[in-house]
Amino acid sequence: MASATDARYGQKESSDQNFDYMFKILIIGNSSVGKTSFLFRYADDSFTPAFVSTVGIDFKVKTIYRNDKRIKLQIWDTAGQERYRTITTAYYRGAMGFILMYDITNEESFNAVQDWSTQIKTYSWDNAQVLLVGNKCDMEDERVVSSERGRQLADHLGFEFFEASAKDNINVKQTFERLVDVICEKMSESLDTADPAVTGAKQGPQLTDQQAPPHQDCAC
Amino acid sequence: MAQQVSLGSLQESEREAILQVLYRDREVQNTEAERIRNLKTRLQHLRWKGAKSVSQEYKEKSCARCQQTLGLLLNRGAVCQGCSHRVCSECRVFLRRTRAWKCTVCFEDRNVKIKTGDWFFEERAKKFPTEGKHETAGAKLLQSYQKLSNKISVVPPTPPPLSESQCGGGPARLQELGQFKGFNKSVENLFLSVTTHMKKLSKSQNDMTSDKQHPEMVPRQREGRPERRSQSDTAINVTTRAGTPDILKPLGPESPRRPTSPVLKQEDISSSPVLNTSFSGGLRQGSLISINSTCTEMGNFDKADVTGEIEFAIRYCLRTHSLEICIRACKNLAFGEERKKKCNPYVKTYLLPDRSSQGKRKTGVQKNTVEPTFQETLKYQVELAQLASQQLQVSVWHLGVLTRRVFLGEVIVPLATWDFEDRESQSFRWYPLRAKAEKSEDSLPTNNGELAVRAKLVLPAGPRELQEAPEGTGDEPSQNGQLCLVVLGAKNLPVRSDGTLNSFVKGCLTLPDQQRLRLKSPVLKKQACPQWKHSFIFKGVTPSQLRQSSLELTIWDQATFGVNDRFLGGARLGLKEDLPGGAHTSSQAKLQWQKVLSSPNLWTDMTLILH
Ligand SMILES: Nc1nc2c(ncn2[C@@H]2O[C@H](COP(=O)(O)OP(=O)(O)O)[C@@H](O)[C@H]2O)c(=O)[nH]1
Ligand SMILES: [Mg+2]
Ligand SMILES: [Zn+2]
Ligand SMILES: [Zn+2]
Repeated sequence: MASATDARYGQKESSDQNFDYMFKILIIGNSSVGKTSFLFRYADDSFTPAFVSTVGIDFKVKTIYRNDKRIKLQIWDTAGQERYRTITTAYYRGAMGFILMYDITNEESFNAVQDWSTQIKTYSWDNAQVLLVGNKCDMEDERVVSSERGRQLADHLGFEFFEASAKDNINVKQTFERLVDVICEKMSESLDTADPAVTGAKQGPQLTDQQAPPHQDCAC
Repeated sequence: MAQQVSLGSLQESEREAILQVLYRDREVQNTEAERIRNLKTRLQHLRWKGAKSVSQEYKEKSCARCQQTLGLLLNRGAVCQGCSHRVCSECRVFLRRTRAWKCTVCFEDRNVKIKTGDWFFEERAKKFPTEGKHETAGAKLLQSYQKLSNKISVVPPTPPPLSESQCGGGPARLQELGQFKGFNKSVENLFLSVTTHMKKLSKSQNDMTSDKQHPEMVPRQREGRPERRSQSDTAINVTTRAGTPDILKPLGPESPRRPTSPVLKQEDISSSPVLNTSFSGGLRQGSLISINSTCTEMGNFDKADVTGEIEFAIRYCLRTHSLEICIRACKNLAFGEERKKKCNPYVKTYLLPDRSSQGKRKTGVQKNTVEPTFQETLKYQVELAQLASQQLQVSVWHLGVLTRRVFLGEVIVPLATWDFEDRESQSFRWYPLRAKAEKSEDSLPTNNGELAVRAKLVLPAGPRELQEAPEGTGDEPSQNGQLCLVVLGAKNLPVRSDGTLNSFVKGCLTLPDQQRLRLKSPVLKKQACPQWKHSFIFKGVTPSQLRQSSLELTIWDQATFGVNDRFLGGARLGLKEDLPGGAHTSSQAKLQWQKVLSSPNLWTDMTLILH
């Protein structure tokens, strides 16, 4: 089984330094909700219907271009099984953002969301950015968790919400990019609002704005 | 969906899979650490550039970034919230979507925080203050796994480790780990050891799924060894406290550096936006300093054919702000005196470009050996940021009879790119000794800046008298000529580490009868580019005397406690040829000096290169 897993993961994280910064993202959720598939869809644009249970932890890297910056994402895929919990929670502290996933065809996985959220609160930093993702939305016929319930829970927990499908490649890219953006926002916030309002900022006409990075969404 | 796999086979595959991941992660983290080091080095340079310009001209009210003078009404500058320095409007960068701005350096600082992820570590520290900055879970896992393994190898383990052959099929990387005796402990130990790093798991740790509960724990508890967990707890604590060497092994990307003080950390840089240390008495420890030996640097020395190597280590101690060069040994040195097969080597260092005697450190002299062992640490008290502009020169010399010195070779290490955070670069290394570079400043006079002077020969009569003056009979002070010299100012002087000097000029006119007329300017405090505008007037000299005289102008940095003023550089004017070991006269200066003598009562401006 391990060899199957190994084969699924490529090994060219590469020594490429051609990026501006690195974000670490963790995907969590019950076993078999589609975390690994989701990551493979995003990183490799591939999908396998066969289920290969993830051993402990694994990761992939992907460099994206977002807001005029090259951002290297190290995306950690975790095993949902409790027996790996000690290992997986060890990775919570290093993550800037989380994708918390459930399976819209699996009630139990949805019920566990609250507990996963508690895990994040316990093991991660206070400003952890979380996106709630209801996966397998291609399986409309077998849906047991309505979009509305998903959205309500997300609101309740203060997370943003997406329904997605790793199989049909729905909202996969969007999920990651949105997560990157909210992390960027958090970053700007922590860097710039830490300073008290600047007093003597006389904005002369010669203000050197061209040095500021020219993008709309985040000041990073 | 949870599959029921037999525990034994699962453990082995799990172990392999997880270690694979840990190693892959380590590679990513190593790359990342390297990138971050590069970034921080660049920021350091930027800061240094800002700081260096302070030395160009010291001004009360100038922009901290570009040194532009700030006005009282217009362009008064404003204080940057980040660093509290006053900067001009050009040196501000406005942040997107805000009216807030930062100075160029703080802006870069912010960029670096983004790029290094330090913003995150700072935020995270609010919740986990003890968490190592770049310490990753993977590094910790590897570390704790290893610690656990070590522990098991010391204390006879229960149950005994499995046989080595179990990891036989693993990839080479895993074999490497296989040398740790505990390697074959199942991955459960890995989990257990991680568990000990964490606080008690919250209630939410309880199973959320239908997955089997702690399958890996079950057999243990049945075996009736509940103390296992605490045992491994102790193991880790002991190891940590004892600081055993395995922590230092380059296992994780960050963890090995933990024990040393990481040098290029963000906060260290930001806490010293402007260089603020000066050389102090502390710099004398651990090394011999020869004062007043500046001239020997320009003086004569022999050169042997350079052979051999020197072993030393370079470290920076953040706590004491000192650069430490640990000189260990040399081998295969050339004989200082080839015919007599004699060699009494010693090692000398400078932090170039400073070649003043205060910047010199020497080891003791070893007698009659070409394989000397020194084991001496030479120290410089210097801000880390300052080092970006410096090169470490380590040279080996033979001390012969009558203090005759023979150059045996040197190594020049540019410190700008030196990674003081890296353990590798802190360790001892052999460096091949090299001959002096062609244009080496040690064999040629050093350029220690320029001195601007204005000179005039004042004669009561016209130039005719000068031409008629008989050669060689110049002992006629009655002619009452005067040599007027205005020392205007100097620039590019070897400044102190705070970028300033308390400098003064000495003028010494040596007449043909070796009589010396000496004058001294007042001290100009806290200036890197002093403008003394001070007049030296040498009275009662005749043109013929002057043509056989020499005028030496030397610049000094006044010692704070008045012991030894530091020689900054000097220049010589005069037709007399160079004295051995003395300052040199450049041909251009010669021409200018001739002009002074041949055009009495007229001012001649000249720029003298200081050596
Ligand atoms: N129909 C459908 N199946 C999916 C989707 N994502 C994953 N799966 C399947 O669900 C099973 C578990 O997926 P996996 O990614 O291994 O789940 P993980 O345990 O959370 O990593 C596999 O058989 C996948 O093929 C999806 O979006 N749609
Ligand atoms: Mg998986
Ligand atoms: Zn400025
Ligand atoms: Zn500033």
